[in-house]
Amino acid sequence: MALRGIRSLRRIRTAGAGILATVLAAATLSACGGGSADGKVTLTFWTHTHPPMIKLNQTLIAEYERQHPNVRIEYQQIPNDEFDTKMLTATSNGTGPDVLNLDDTTLRGEYLPKRLLAPIDFDALGVPSTDALKARYLPGTLDGASADNELYGLPSEFNATAFAINTQHFADAGLDPDAPPKTWQDVSAAAKKLAAAGHTQAFSFLYLHAGWYTQQLQTLLNETGGTITDAGHQKATVSAPPAQAALKIWTDLATGTGRTADPNKASREATAPFSDLATGRQSMAMVYPWAMEQIRQSNPDTFAKLKLVPLPQVNPAKPVNRWYGYYWGVSRASEHAQQAWQFIAYLASQSQRWLSDVKFIQPVKGWDTSAAGKQVPGLDVWSTAYRQGKFDEVAPHFAEIKDAVMGMVNDSVFDHVAIPEAAGTAAERIDRSLGS
Amino acid sequence: MSGPRSGAARVGRLTTLIVAGLGGLVFASVLVYAVLTALKPASEVLAVPLRWLPTTFEWSNLTLPFTETPFARYFLNSTVVGISVTLLNVVTCTAAGFSFAKFRYRGRDAAFMIVLATLMIPVEIIYVPLYSLVYSLGWVNSFAGLIVPAGTSAFGIFLMRQAIGNVPDELLEAARLDGAGDLRTLVSIVVPVVRGPMAALALFIFMLNWDSHLWPLLIASDDEHRTLPVGLAAMQADNLGSAAVPMMLVAALLAALPTVLLFVTLQRRFVEGVTMSAGIR
Amino acid sequence: MAVLSIRSKAPESSPPRRKKPVRRRNVIGALLAVPAMVLFVVFAIYPMLRVFYLSLFDYSLTTPPEFIGFDNFTYLATDPQFGAALWQTVLYAAGTYVPALALALVLAHVLNSRAPGSGLLRLLYFLPVAISWVAVSVIWRVVLNPDGLLNQALGLHLNWLTSSGSAMWGLVVMGVWKETGFFLILFLAGLQSIPEELYEASRLDGAGTFARFRYITWPMLLPVTAVCSVMAVIRGFQAFSPQLVLTNGGFGTQVVNLFVYKTAFENARMGRASAVAVLMFLLLFGLTLLQLKVFARRDR
Repeated sequence: MALRGIRSLRRIRTAGAGILATVLAAATLSACGGGSADGKVTLTFWTHTHPPMIKLNQTLIAEYERQHPNVRIEYQQIPNDEFDTKMLTATSNGTGPDVLNLDDTTLRGEYLPKRLLAPIDFDALGVPSTDALKARYLPGTLDGASADNELYGLPSEFNATAFAINTQHFADAGLDPDAPPKTWQDVSAAAKKLAAAGHTQAFSFLYLHAGWYTQQLQTLLNETGGTITDAGHQKATVSAPPAQAALKIWTDLATGTGRTADPNKASREATAPFSDLATGRQSMAMVYPWAMEQIRQSNPDTFAKLKLVPLPQVNPAKPVNRWYGYYWGVSRASEHAQQAWQFIAYLASQSQRWLSDVKFIQPVKGWDTSAAGKQVPGLDVWSTAYRQGKFDEVAPHFAEIKDAVMGMVNDSVFDHVAIPEAAGTAAERIDRSLGS
Repeated sequence: MSGPRSGAARVGRLTTLIVAGLGGLVFASVLVYAVLTALKPASEVLAVPLRWLPTTFEWSNLTLPFTETPFARYFLNSTVVGISVTLLNVVTCTAAGFSFAKFRYRGRDAAFMIVLATLMIPVEIIYVPLYSLVYSLGWVNSFAGLIVPAGTSAFGIFLMRQAIGNVPDELLEAARLDGAGDLRTLVSIVVPVVRGPMAALALFIFMLNWDSHLWPLLIASDDEHRTLPVGLAAMQADNLGSAAVPMMLVAALLAALPTVLLFVTLQRRFVEGVTMSAGIR
Repeated sequence: MAVLSIRSKAPESSPPRRKKPVRRRNVIGALLAVPAMVLFVVFAIYPMLRVFYLSLFDYSLTTPPEFIGFDNFTYLATDPQFGAALWQTVLYAAGTYVPALALALVLAHVLNSRAPGSGLLRLLYFLPVAISWVAVSVIWRVVLNPDGLLNQALGLHLNWLTSSGSAMWGLVVMGVWKETGFFLILFLAGLQSIPEELYEASRLDGAGTFARFRYITWPMLLPVTAVCSVMAVIRGFQAFSPQLVLTNGGFGTQVVNLFVYKTAFENARMGRASAVAVLMFLLLFGLTLLQLKVFARRDR
């Protein structure tokens, strides 16, 4: 008995020591976040997941660290599905990164109203004033990260929307790639012929997450003249006739008489959103500059057959487009704001490499006449698209609004709810969000 | 059930057993499907019509989660957190159980009532303020945040109090006459007697922790701290296409392996843990 | 959990009440409970009180809480999103746990034997219990794929996870698969605690299989059934992982827990999320009491 007791005593002691060690280790691990015991500044940097961008970020970080031995950059990618939640929670409670990379709607819809970001530090950027900075960029392109006349970020990418068609598929279906669809009806008509030639996934929207749903609907809204809320963000307008018209275009193309593909067979991979187009399963898609580059890298054979054409329009006589951008910004909670802006200044100074390596177009003046700019395939299509675009209107609590939009499209496309009804439900949801 | 039985009853019994057997096959088929699909070439995973067997077994699929994602790190994190939480629970619950079962002091019953009250509260109810609290402790993105709040359990205390209550007082009295202190008595007399319930508790807590998703999702947002459920979900979110099916299935099956193995080898203890958690025994 | 009142049925001893605790040095005895109690008070009791408090505030983590009385509750009372979340939780819980309990009860009867192979069979049903919810979800994402096992086995062409008509039921099928084993364990334990003599006696009295079930097994299993149903309700309302991983709450699968998560952490409305938690607590508490009462009455 006694012997046994001693043996278990030992066992308990070992267990006790184990626990103590664990607790200590845990405490130590939690204590050393961003510490500067060795005089080094550690900057944390979070982005979404887009493989080509990640690669260039890693390269630039390595270069920056070599040039600034006292700075260490911890780079982390967040899965796109979790991105909004994770980033917002972390930034809200001060555990977020020093340097963030966010799209303009999220910035203006969540971060700026909640005062989560620090305004631009002109000294750190080495720019004398707002006007001097604005002079470097195309007019209006910094507005995506501005509130109350204050600037909060520099653009890492700036996108307009175009259309890509698979010329091989067009040839198979007896269609002329040089006479691409000009309207959404044209897209449906082409889809019928493509389907007859065996290309059943002719055109599909992407059903990835709330942000994607909203940006695609917004593209159509710009064409129909619809909006999600009124300009003062007081009332939902998503059930008004021009907005319903946008949803109708979407639903018609997805499941209606103008059906262009089976939305249930569409790929839903958020890191490679265009994998259907890239693998040659899909014949046409709404695309962005970065997407074309991703396809070129992953599927060069298909890429060679893709042709970039203007976005189909509701009214081809008066074409409209949509802008969206991603911006580098600095968290208000950052203890190293100055170093963070200096790092951003370096990232932003490499706009030629962003163009040549990842086809991220940063709207610095003269990008399209620069050496790397001229290498962008379909430059004329992009240039025209940029001239026709504008940023989205964004209301506060935009995450709730995006959820409502996603619900509306899902209702209509997958559950076959009538359009007025689906739009009505979404409008109610949005009104509740705006009113609270 | 033993004893004489009529032929009809025997046939009836056989039929029900066969039906249950078929049901078991249906249940098992999901896992068999998962294992076989995990070993298929990516092009065959969702083939129509269904083919159970791969044309060739792609054993190299087994390494995909390790080469393509930080799966190994998630696995390590889950193991570290799981073992720490389990040890903490066993120690705190055994100590508190001993205290509640064999000592008399002011406030004891009140303290025990507090424990009983929390039996009712799933973490889902309190995680909003719990998150704020852990955040203000600076424990977001730390192992402390994953481990410490889960360091004890009402059920564990309840269980150990019950088990230690059954230890005869005479045994403790004898130890005291031998000059053993209270801690010594706990360690050398009580613990050996209640090793069974302690093991059941440990297994139960470990498996519960292995499954824990919501709390780590809030607390661990970087790869260094993500546990398996959070990591798997993140991998899934980034790998929705059919090409990634083998990798995801391999990851899911590997993630299930430790608890499944524990379960198969310690089935009796696990059953004890579950039934004790429900208060059936 | 939470089934203390029915314990009195079991011939279990409740030591501190029956025997007098040994009188020992009180201080050390009390100290032994301190680590656990500190953890409890800090990480369970305090947040519990705090959740009630926060439910009366408008709070977003970044700004100081602003007192708004019962506004969160009145908002929720008329919020169709919250109503839908409640309803979808009830559907999911009932859809999963009623069949799982029934199946487990039946299987327990069949598998409570020493017949060759019954041990292996039990294991087949138990295995899903040992797999985490997220791993199960990852596996079932393939099973529920339009070209996955379920459709092919049943000869269907359902888009399980992308339509409101089927998403919930896809998750329910998965839930039954995952959870039956858990209750099977409980029922088997319950069956094994029934004294064999009762059956012997009934057999001598010439009672048939059904009579034995009706007059011995069922009444003797009532406490276990009560436990199981309480646990089923709690587990049902805890549902989170599959809904997050497989549908992200879309297509009629937004369960309450996911609603709280999104309200709190996607939309940074902590006060409102706390109000939901308070309502859930009251609801669970009420349901548990009600169930125990019902079973206690039948038990008499």
